Amino acid sequence: MKFDTVIIGGGLAGLTAGCILLRAGQKVAAVTKGLSLNEAPRNRFVALGGVYLPGDSVLPGGEWRKNRLLRVYTKNLGKTPLEAENFILSTGKFFSRGLIATMSEIKEPLFNCELDYDTDRGKWCVSEFFERQPFENFGVRTDGQGRVFVNGRVAENLYAAGEILAGEIDIEQSAAQLCRNLI
Amino acid sequence: MNFDVIIIGGGITGVSTARDCALRGLKVVLLERDDLTAGATGRNHGLLHSGSRYAVTDTESAAECIRENLILKKIASHCIEDTGGLSITLPEDDPDYQSTFVDSCRAAGIDAQVLDPEEVRRLEPNVNPDLIGAVRVPDASVDPFRLTTATALDATMHGAVILTYHEVLDFIISRGRMVGVKALDRRSGRTVSLHAPITVNAAGIWGARMAEKCGIKIGMYPAKGSLLIFGHRICKMVVNRCRKPSNADILVPGDVVSVLGTTSSKVPLDECDNIRVTASEVDELLLEGVKLSPKIAVSRVLRAYAGVRPLVASDDDPTGRSISRGIVLLDHETRDGMPGFITITGGKLTTHRLMAEQAADLVCAKLHVDSPCRTAELPLPGSEEPAEMPDKKISTRAAATRHGSRISQMDFAQKSEVICQCEHVTRAEIEYAVRCLDVHNLIDLRRRTRIGMGTCQGTFCMSKVAAVLAEALGTPEKAPEFVREYARERWKGIIPVCWGESLREAEYMRKQYGNEI
Amino acid sequence: MQELDLSANDFELCLKCNLCTTVCPMLAVNPHYPGPKQAGPDGERYRLKDPEFYDLTLKYCLNCKRCEVACPSDVRVGDIIQSARLSFARSSAPLRDHLLADTDFVGKLATPFAPVVNSVLGWEPVRKVLDSVFAVDRRRVFPSYARERFSSWFRRTARPMQEAFSRKVAYFHGCYVEYNYPQLGKDLVKLANAAGYGVELLEDERCCGVAMLSNGFSDKARKSAQTNIAAIRKALSGGAEAVLTTGSTCTLTMREEYANVLGMDVSDIVDGIQLATKWLYERLEEGTVALNFRSPLKPLKLAYHSACHMVKLGWSIFSTEMLRKIPGVELTVLDPKCCGIAGTFGFKKENYDYSQKIGQPLFDEILSAAPDIVVTDCETCKWQIEMSTGLSVQNPVSILAQAVSE
Repeated sequence: MKFDTVIIGGGLAGLTAGCILLRAGQKVAAVTKGLSLNEAPRNRFVALGGVYLPGDSVLPGGEWRKNRLLRVYTKNLGKTPLEAENFILSTGKFFSRGLIATMSEIKEPLFNCELDYDTDRGKWCVSEFFERQPFENFGVRTDGQGRVFVNGRVAENLYAAGEILAGEIDIEQSAAQLCRNLI
Repeated sequence: MNFDVIIIGGGITGVSTARDCALRGLKVVLLERDDLTAGATGRNHGLLHSGSRYAVTDTESAAECIRENLILKKIASHCIEDTGGLSITLPEDDPDYQSTFVDSCRAAGIDAQVLDPEEVRRLEPNVNPDLIGAVRVPDASVDPFRLTTATALDATMHGAVILTYHEVLDFIISRGRMVGVKALDRRSGRTVSLHAPITVNAAGIWGARMAEKCGIKIGMYPAKGSLLIFGHRICKMVVNRCRKPSNADILVPGDVVSVLGTTSSKVPLDECDNIRVTASEVDELLLEGVKLSPKIAVSRVLRAYAGVRPLVASDDDPTGRSISRGIVLLDHETRDGMPGFITITGGKLTTHRLMAEQAADLVCAKLHVDSPCRTAELPLPGSEEPAEMPDKKISTRAAATRHGSRISQMDFAQKSEVICQCEHVTRAEIEYAVRCLDVHNLIDLRRRTRIGMGTCQGTFCMSKVAAVLAEALGTPEKAPEFVREYARERWKGIIPVCWGESLREAEYMRKQYGNEI
Repeated sequence: MQELDLSANDFELCLKCNLCTTVCPMLAVNPHYPGPKQAGPDGERYRLKDPEFYDLTLKYCLNCKRCEVACPSDVRVGDIIQSARLSFARSSAPLRDHLLADTDFVGKLATPFAPVVNSVLGWEPVRKVLDSVFAVDRRRVFPSYARERFSSWFRRTARPMQEAFSRKVAYFHGCYVEYNYPQLGKDLVKLANAAGYGVELLEDERCCGVAMLSNGFSDKARKSAQTNIAAIRKALSGGAEAVLTTGSTCTLTMREEYANVLGMDVSDIVDGIQLATKWLYERLEEGTVALNFRSPLKPLKLAYHSACHMVKLGWSIFSTEMLRKIPGVELTVLDPKCCGIAGTFGFKKENYDYSQKIGQPLFDEILSAAPDIVVTDCETCKWQIEMSTGLSVQNPVSILAQAVSE
């Protein structure tokens, strides 16, 4: 199935970006594990003609040519890949398993994107619950255009948006900013 | 205010002493600076020892344990789950230890049965399948919160006054005798003076500081122990290693969780109010613990906590290096020339009733009261008879496991809404706790019910419980304060285990409540 | 150390986010149902300590799997509840449940007398008896029984022609096609032939067993499963490129429930069990199959309904994409909502009102879309929507079969 943009992770960031791209005339699909917490962006996305695939997850790896992601496969769609010009990785942080933390390290599980995080587990939290925790700032590194780093190089057409990003993020703003590079 | 005896310390020892004295007809007041079980009583393994762990090196201690173990199973039945225990031999352990172990147990009066490893694998599918030997012993799981709550309830039902959030500031000494205490009511800010001919120091590890207030020295060795709580019941029975006791070699089923422990390290006395579980303790517990059950490697850790054992120096060793493991009863009149003051300390959770009996015996002797101890015969409230279930709901049954026959006091018909879903705690149970169990905040409530002790550590229900509690206390405006206090308390135990699923939960908890302040 | 296996359906993965609770169709209409989180992961912790903690209200779970679709933590909530019902429920089931669940037994008895049975089931006095004696709600419309079983028709009429095809697929028709609506099976054969594939039946076939599972008859379900697994295995190793299905629930049951709830091994056959629309879509994409449509085709206004189990499979897109290929089709894709019948659940008197309340928003949406035909892959959704809206409901395979040229 071919699209202009495939959104991996249909949370607020992914669906916000998706709606912007749909309005710009693109063919967009969003794959999301679970159901998006936010009903309104989900309904808008579908009403604008987006292909919404809930309860599904993209399988790790994908098919690449050099630094270009060509297609991804999902748990439910089996043999049928999702192909697109561009991909947006908006799988969130730990809650939605966009990032996986073991006892000793943190990883981005789908493409092994490079991360900004503290390798010392003792530094992941601070003792005051009501302060922003260090782990809330962990996430993927991106270049000036919002593209992730895989295997030491910029991934040409794989962008990141939302909570998966390192630092303090305004979700909707990060999505909007990203779309300027995609339209 | 005049009493016969003042007891300092709201752990199981103090509360049990209050019960014993009250049952003997004395007028008792107990002062606890925080909430009941805030000390070591609320931070131990929840293990009702059979005594087998001590049998090889200390027959007397072991015999004492098993006697108390059997007494408590009778009188505190709703606080104890008679799970039984296993002492397993692994390929790396000395195979000859088992027979020494069995002989020592039997010599101490502990029923020890050798089991075939194949049978054990059937009984306990999650036990380390590599075990080469096992002995069944009468270990059991005890809930120290339930035990203390029921004991305190019995004490107050027999006239004792229990004052939580009252911190003893000073002793009142008159002509070289201790005649009372001055205490601060931390909630109102007012100071109270209480008088009694005998004061009992049952303040656990803080007992040393307490005694110092009147110039008496007690050598204490604060031994910190850290434990991990796993989210579900991994093994049905207590699992021990059949070898010389060491770290991280007991896994105890505690209601619907599993508790793995412990470590042991000395900490300075002044750090006892602020102990934290360290990353290396967590690592040690997991690496050793997985030898008891491979499931340890793949089961979610909910939280970590640490307590400080009140170990006491043996009095007749001037070097202070010999630690007394048994019960320590100090008559300060004869020891230090301070009449009206005694200290009861040392011991362990399993022998608390005996500790209280010894203390109460001494109190009665000092007061020339001739009244026998009945604590070994009289059941605790909740354990007198089997609970009667008014309906078939899970939440009702769960309340019965926590409060025994006292569920008859709960209004399930009207208040059956489940507030803490992980632990199936209803509005009825919460309101009962507020009415009868001396609850002032969410942390107290947690100890009396089980709210927030489940998988989500309060993430889901905190707001709701706070609102229900604040309403029940008649102070609805306090709900946000309850949440803040409780979130911070839960957070302490989550930080040391903040990876994997618990990190996901922590992120979710932060999203829900992080802006509460 | 401490790396949990996400595929192991560990109830410990549950973070209590309650997303499942917000999407449960039963909870929305029935305050007695504790909801998927409480019935599933919360309950499981306590049931592990003591089987006495089994809650009877778990019977309200529809097994729609919407909780599983919504879960961000990989908890198969529906499976936990189903497994608990099978392990912990103690009382024996009434005769009614046996009859509702054993579709093969009833079907074999009914089809020889189909015209009589169909009339009798429509009689008011009979419905009253079913209601008062057996607690089968009198308002529920029964699907009618066919005069000839599908497999008989196939052996008599279609089989000879299948020899002509060098490429083959097998067809698991299921109990609905077999006893009630052989037309769908005929449509599948026509469609497969049009795509250049011959169809063969399985050596032996039982009802997939989903009704047996939901009514607590795990032994019976297991026996049916064993038969089906063996027959599918034989067909796949005997040259059939796939075993096609036309019912979404049969498909989900065989691909997932056999393994997750009954603990049976289907790893070597699961990829071979394919819903017909998905299979066809893949072949068209590959270019190994071509489909020609008749011309001219009457314009058709269709509304597609995603059955709950289709949402779980994630395969609605294949059915809708296939429908879009038909010239003249105006397709509305309805918002995925539960129709409420949940198989045998909606036949039971004590559940009927819940079923209808759950489905009402869907019925309203359908009526306002005003299609010529409602299309769905699930046969029990078909009964429910036909009864509750009066509109005609067809399987996508039937729509396609009517549109293709031979």
